Parts: sequence; structure tokens; C-alpha cells
Amino acid sequence: MRRKALTSTVVAGVMALAALLPAAAAQEKSRLDVVLERGELIVVTMSTAPPFAFTDDKGQLVGFDIDIVRLLAQALFKDPGKVEFVIVTAEGRWPAIESGRADLGVGGTTVYPDRALRVAFTRAFIDSGISILVSKKSGIKSLEDLNQEKYTVANLNNPQMAERAKRFFPKTKVLTFDTPSAQFLAVRSGRAHALQIDTPTADYFAAQSKDEFEVLPQLLTASQNNAIYLKPGDFKWWQWLDTAVAELRSGSWYPQYSEVYQKWFGKNPPPQKFYLQR
Amino acid sequence: MRYSAWFATYGPSYLDGLGWTALTALGASAGAILWGCALLLIRLAGGRGGARAVDAYVQLFRNTPVLLPIYLIYFGFPLIGLPWPAVVCGGLALVLQNGAYVSEILRGSFKAIDRVQFDAARSIGLSPWKTFRKVVLPQVLVYSIPALGNQVVLLLKDTSLLSAISVTELTMRAKLLTEQTGAAYEAFLVVAVLYLLLVSVTEVIFRTAHRAVRWSR
Amino acid sequence: MTSGSLLLLAQAAGVSLLLAAAAIVLGTAVGAGLTAMAFSRLAVVRAAYRVWVYLVRGTPVLVLALLVFYALPALDLRTGPYLAGILVLGIYAGALFAEVFRGGVLAIPRPQWESGRSLGLPPGAMLRKVVAPLVLRYALPPYVNVCVMAVKASSVLSIISVWELTFAAREIIERTLAVFTVLGVAAALYFVMCLGIDRAGKWLERRLMVRGFVGEPA
Repeated sequence: MRRKALTSTVVAGVMALAALLPAAAAQEKSRLDVVLERGELIVVTMSTAPPFAFTDDKGQLVGFDIDIVRLLAQALFKDPGKVEFVIVTAEGRWPAIESGRADLGVGGTTVYPDRALRVAFTRAFIDSGISILVSKKSGIKSLEDLNQEKYTVANLNNPQMAERAKRFFPKTKVLTFDTPSAQFLAVRSGRAHALQIDTPTADYFAAQSKDEFEVLPQLLTASQNNAIYLKPGDFKWWQWLDTAVAELRSGSWYPQYSEVYQKWFGKNPPPQKFYLQR
Repeated sequence: MRYSAWFATYGPSYLDGLGWTALTALGASAGAILWGCALLLIRLAGGRGGARAVDAYVQLFRNTPVLLPIYLIYFGFPLIGLPWPAVVCGGLALVLQNGAYVSEILRGSFKAIDRVQFDAARSIGLSPWKTFRKVVLPQVLVYSIPALGNQVVLLLKDTSLLSAISVTELTMRAKLLTEQTGAAYEAFLVVAVLYLLLVSVTEVIFRTAHRAVRWSR
Repeated sequence: MTSGSLLLLAQAAGVSLLLAAAAIVLGTAVGAGLTAMAFSRLAVVRAAYRVWVYLVRGTPVLVLALLVFYALPALDLRTGPYLAGILVLGIYAGALFAEVFRGGVLAIPRPQWESGRSLGLPPGAMLRKVVAPLVLRYALPPYVNVCVMAVKASSVLSIISVWELTFAAREIIERTLAVFTVLGVAAALYFVMCLGIDRAGKWLERRLMVRGFVGEPA
């Protein structure tokens, strides 16, 4: 390991000299070059965040985010299969990136400024709002209905959920869980009447059990960003990833992006440019 | 220092979690020891059937992860009209499991009591219940102090599982802070130190108790 | 629950069992070494033993896993997690085993030491013929307890990307929301594994029973 790092530093140094670049460029080799040399991406992800990243009935890792990574591998190596997924729990994502063990990470991960102090994000590769999913029995039809002391909302354990609960339904009681399944179970068991969750996830589960759950039409946040995260400080690597995401969402890879979007959400992605109507 | 800055910012959040962890562990430990004594009584007084039932109970709880009873009680009880708070439900699950361990510890100590004492108790006319309360239980508990201390330490660390049912104890605090900042190392290392603190306090309490009653050995 | 999910859980149970088995082997070796430290002539070594056991026992396994995996650069993400997982469980079980063995040594009645010494047994023979057989018998029940704990403790290794029974159950739960069914099956699998270990321990206990030897220290 150490010897490898040493060799790569030497190689990087020689290359910098050969190109007669300024001394500043002779720093650590970019992860982009490491990845290209390796011929494979190492990607950290969760496997418990449907429909972004989860396992199917055969235990295979699938989901929207997973397909996005496969598009990246296709672009880098002309082979969508050249990806090594490292599956961790929610808390395991950050050390995997900070320690440099994975090249990048995905998996229903929202961009927060607090998080960006520790890891770098590309621009968002999907907009993910926050919705309220209610049990049909409760008879709750709107956020105003929900804002009563007799109701309880199940949150996920991030501070943004707590903040939104205070802002949108200050009177409602709040419970905090560490997995979406526990949130759903809370609603099913009558512990809570509604839950806050990413809009795509809400749609996914509401579609699966139509007579039990309903998604309120109002959104708590119309848009928040799910993005690729990586170790900060590597401009070349970040730049390539960010460009790739831009091309997916509004450039030359929009057709492939649309295909993946259709596959997981059953509808077209937002238009490529605001002045183009589909 | 990075950690002092970290603790300065998030200290209050940790202290709140520390309080919940300590409270849950204390309540559940007391409950588990009581329940363990009750199980020992059932085993001793319940005849063959009682002993079998306790054996089955102990096997069941010793060999399954405690997360299942935690979930079953917390999410199941509202369905039968008992929407107890999360701390109570989680605490109850911990009592049920650790009570099984405690009863085994007490059984081990029971074997160490000299049989002559039972004859003595009978000869001075003590009722079976009085014999249990005045002769058996005090000795069994005293013999068991070190092993009970170990069990309480395990229980203390298991309270972290209550984060799954919305109890905002230490581990939940670490998870919340990790979600917010992405700083898993800091969040969990601080929590580890706080657990170590609680474990140390527990060990000091049990060691002091052990020393205080050593005359009885 | 589909047969596919059942199969996955069964496979994951196998992984848990293998992890625990490897950790028990490693932990026993670590525990034996630590016990030797506990009875060292040097106060420094004995103190080191106490500090080590105190630290390992007082730290949640989850935190231990994060520390070991991300502090050791020699482990890489593709092959490393399982080795790191075994190492973590081995360290954890090792500390618990050490306490078990130490208790066993302390439980040896003084006359045994005295008679061994009066026979003029050299230290090696003393260890082999007197100490080891007695400790084996005294320590077997708590040893088995720790083995059961190792199986259950393997469930927290998912944080360092070890795929085992609890992690597999969580994956299926988050996809299907069938919490109780999946947790119930997982619990049943844990029960079978742990009960198996327990029964094996009991069997061994009977095999090792010596007539006239009181199994537990009086």
C-alpha cells in the first residue's frame, strides 16, 4: 500500500516535470488518473434507500443512483460493469470517503452545507423534494390538517427534518427514527399519523400500498439536491464528475438519463432546458 | 483542538443523550435484577413445570437479538391499546432479556449456598417464602455482585439499540450529528468516551458494593 | 416473504456464523495471551492487562469496528471489511475470554497448586496437567456464553460494509417494509445458531465431566 503510494507520487512528480508545469501541479495525483489507471470505480453507497439504492429480491444492488453510477462507468471505461460497490450503513458513508477508500459515493444523499464542510458535492443529479405521507385512516388531507396537537409525525434522524417540522407543523408531536422502515411501521402501528420523507421514496411506497398510504399534494421543500459526494480538494476529479452530472441532466447524455429516470420513476425527468418543452 | 471545538458546539446535545442513556440503563438494570429474582423464585418454588418454563424462557431470550422484542413491544403494544412511551417499551424489552441472564447468574450463586442452611432454616420454623427472602436471596445477591456488574455493563451498551425506536440516547445523538455534519469519527468517538465514563461509574459502584459485603464470604 | 428473500437470509446467516467462528478462534488465542499477562510477575504487564480489558469492554463494538477498520490502512475496502470484522470481534471476544480464563484460574482450589508444587512439577507440566484441565472445566460455561455473544455482536459490523444476517434483514425490510416477518425469520436463524453453540457447549461439558470432580468452584 505504502509502496504503491510512493510509486504513484514519484510518477506524478516525473510527469509534472516532463510537462514543465509549475511546481504547484506536482502535488498528489488526481483520483481521476488513479481511477482511469485502475480501470474500475470504487463507489460507496447505502443499500437501504429505495428507490435510489437498495437490493432486489436476489440480493442484487439496484436503484436510480446505482444506474447513474453505471452511466459514469460507461463514460470512463466504455463498460457499465466496471464498478465495485462498497455497501455501508448511513453512518459508514463519510469515513469511507474521508479515508480515501472509495472514489465517490451515492445513495439518496442530500446536499447540506454542514456536510459540505467535510465532503465535496457535485451539482445535484436529481431533485428530491420532501413530502408528507399520511395513513389513509387518519383523514389528513393537507398540512393545515396535520398541524394539530393530536397528531404525531415520524421523522428521520437528520436535523433538517426537525427544523421543517417546527416550521410547517409546529403543533404536531414528533418522533425520530433511524430508518425509513421504522417510520412506516410507526404509521402502520398507530404510533404516528404521518411521516416526512424524500418525495421519490414517498411515491415509491405509496404506489406499492395504495389503500394504506397517501402522499399529501403539498411539498415541504419543492426541491432539494441529491448529489455525488467525494473527498474534497481534488479539483480535477470533482470537475470531471460535475461535468458528467451536468451532461446527464441538461446536455449530451440527457437521453440516457431520461431512460434511467423513466425506469425508476415512471415519468420523464424535468426538461433539459427551461425553454424546451417536452 | 478539533475535539474541544466539537464538544463545545455539540456538548449540550450529548449531555442530553447521556442523561437518557443513564436513566434507561439505571431503570432497566433495577428491573432486570428484580425480574431475575422473580425468575429464580419461580424456578425454585414452581416445581418441575416452573423450572422448565424458566429454562425455555432463558433459552429464548439468551439466543435471540434484543432488537426483536424492542420492535415488538414498541410497535405491537399500540395495536392492543397500550401506546406506552418509547423509553418504557425499550426498557421493558431490556428487562425481559437481561432478566433471563440475571436469573442464570443467580442460579449459579444459589448452587454455592451450603445445603445445611436450608435444614437450619426449616428447624427454626421459617416458612419457604421467608427462607427465600431472608436466607437465599441475600446470599445469592451478594455472591453475584461481580457477575451482575458485568451484566449491567452489557445492558448499558445495549441501550444504544433504543435509538431504533426514537429514544434520543447517546447513539441516536451520534447518528443525528453524523447525519448533519458527516463527521462520523468525532461523533462516535465522543460517544465512546461517554460510554466508557458510564461503564467506569458502574464498575466503581459494583466494586465498592463487593468490597463492602466481602465479610459475608 | 419470497423464497428469494429467505435464501438471502440463510446465506447471510452463514456469513454471520463464519465470522463468529473465525472470531472465536482468534479471540481464544488473544484471550489466552491476555490471561498470561494477567498473571505476570511484572506489575506493569498486569496493569497493561487491566487497562486493555477495561478499554475494550467499555467500548461499544460499533465504535471498535470504526476505529479498527479506518485506522488500519493495510485493509482495503474490497477484501478488508471481513478481515477487519473478524479482527474487531476477535479483539472484543478476546477481552471477554481473558476475563473468563482469569476467573477459571482464580477458581482453582489452593490445594491443587500446593500438591502440584509438592510433587515437584515443572511450570510447563503444571500448566499442562493441572491448570489447563481445571480451567477448561471451570471456564467452559461462561466461555460458551461469550461465543453466543460473538454471534450476536457480529450484527453491528454492517457499518464497515460487512454483509451479514442483520444487514441482509435490513435490506429486505427497507425494500418490503415487512418488518416483523423479516425480523422474526432473522431472530429464528440467530436462535438456531446460538442454541446450536449452546448445545455443543453442554455436550462438551458432559464429555469433560470427571467423576468426583465438582464442576463449579465451591
